[in-house]
Amino acid sequence: MVARTPAWKRYNWRVIWLSLAYAILLIAAVYGFKHKLIPPALTYPVAILPALPIIGLFAAMGRYLVEETDEYVRMLIVRQMLWAMGFALSCATIWGFLESFDLVGHVDGYYVVIAWYFGLGVGSIVNKLTVGEGGC
Amino acid sequence: MAYAGFTPAQRAHTKRVLWLMLAYIIVLPPLIWLRATRHIGDGVLLAMAIAASLPVLGIFASWGRYVSAERDEYHRSLTLGRIAVATNVTMGAAVVWGFLQAFGVMPLIETYWVPFVWVVVQGMYGCIEVFSRKGEQ
Repeated sequence: MVARTPAWKRYNWRVIWLSLAYAILLIAAVYGFKHKLIPPALTYPVAILPALPIIGLFAAMGRYLVEETDEYVRMLIVRQMLWAMGFALSCATIWGFLESFDLVGHVDGYYVVIAWYFGLGVGSIVNKLTVGEGGC
Repeated sequence: MAYAGFTPAQRAHTKRVLWLMLAYIIVLPPLIWLRATRHIGDGVLLAMAIAASLPVLGIFASWGRYVSAERDEYHRSLTLGRIAVATNVTMGAAVVWGFLQAFGVMPLIETYWVPFVWVVVQGMYGCIEVFSRKGEQ
């Protein structure tokens, strides 16, 4: 595990606040749709609301990379992100073709984001095996 | 030559991507034709789906190899910036579409549109970079 830099601590705080916002918005949106409280004109904006904190998580990751002054730590995180990208997009490609050949059902698009975060873990393992440090 | 100003790593990456795209163009139509006209078992369908995916996966692997092979720090940082922007925009689009699907507002679509969005955003951002640099000069 790499040393926790000030930029990393700020990033963690942003993640905590965004996760809290996500939980609140998701529960509110699910409750609203389940009990048919959302007027038709507001269905699109309300459905998008829980997505906003997740987009914020990616923005926080980008900001962290800009703020991180430790070159070594940044290199580890960039490597992890590259693995995450490759993993998530590869999963999406394979699943997409399995869908189009009717072998599996359709899934909601946000599963790609879950695959991306899983890919961060894959990147961490690769970092550990090749550089000796996992990263985040 | 069209890519005379490219670094050796960029040339190697471009060649790999062109070969992989050629493979994709050759592999995909017969698979779609087979799927549409023949009754095929699940095992073969699975192999066909993976065969169709492999060239695209190869393109992502080629990007990773390019980033590790590129010795020019400037070009590498430009590429990493482009990849970061494309990834953030694509993941943002995926999560927005995902919640619209989950709440029944938008239809379910094949997930291979996600990498498609990534490639388009990456290319568009690259074009914006080139034009903005020309504007500065």
